[in-house]
Amino acid sequence: MIAELSGHTLLVFVGIPVLVVAVVALLVFSSSIASGPRYRPGLSWWAPPVWINGPTATKPDPAHLPELPGAPGTTATAAGVARTTGGASASW
Amino acid sequence: MPAGDAFTPDQLYDIEKAVRHAEETSGLHFSVYVGGADSETRPFALELLNELDDPDRSVLVYVDPAGRRLEIVTGAIAKRQLSDSSAGLAALTMQTSFATGDLTGGLVTGVQQLGDHAHLPKLLHANEPHKQ
Repeated sequence: MIAELSGHTLLVFVGIPVLVVAVVALLVFSSSIASGPRYRPGLSWWAPPVWINGPTATKPDPAHLPELPGAPGTTATAAGVARTTGGASASW
Repeated sequence: MPAGDAFTPDQLYDIEKAVRHAEETSGLHFSVYVGGADSETRPFALELLNELDDPDRSVLVYVDPAGRRLEIVTGAIAKRQLSDSSAGLAALTMQTSFATGDLTGGLVTGVQQLGDHAHLPKLLHANEPHKQ
């Protein structure tokens, strides 16, 4: 039975459906391919760190700077440099 | 998130544009870091702030997508222009966008909001004492 199938039959019943499925899949995924990878909260993050408008010059190593005395309202960093800071935090 | 860059060139351009606008509006230095933290997020964000050229006049937005944490750190002088409550409002805006997976939109809107809140109004008649 299968041996009796002609090339024309295969083209109509296999080739055309495959082509249609491929076109639909391309249309569905084209927008996500064009917009690039998308962040999904809860899933792991694989991209390397990005620092926009980061430091431009090499600064001296804070470990070799004299340590400043702490004062009320100051926050000591891991590098030992005290600096009064503000800001906010959030999580999602 | 598949392996690769965190943002497309267009997304990076949008964020950089928002950063430039915030700097022009406020006169402060704005910086955005997106990546994982080596330690707790707040101390790590403070380390990043101290690495900037002028930490006292800088505002750092730190986003940890994996840990789902956001930190806004203001330097000693920047803190006078940008209060903690204003930073908290911007953090809330960014948090909403990040929760829906929109990192770029959250950063653009949040940085713009930070710049607007840190805006210093021009002094009128400062050089014209005879008109006062």
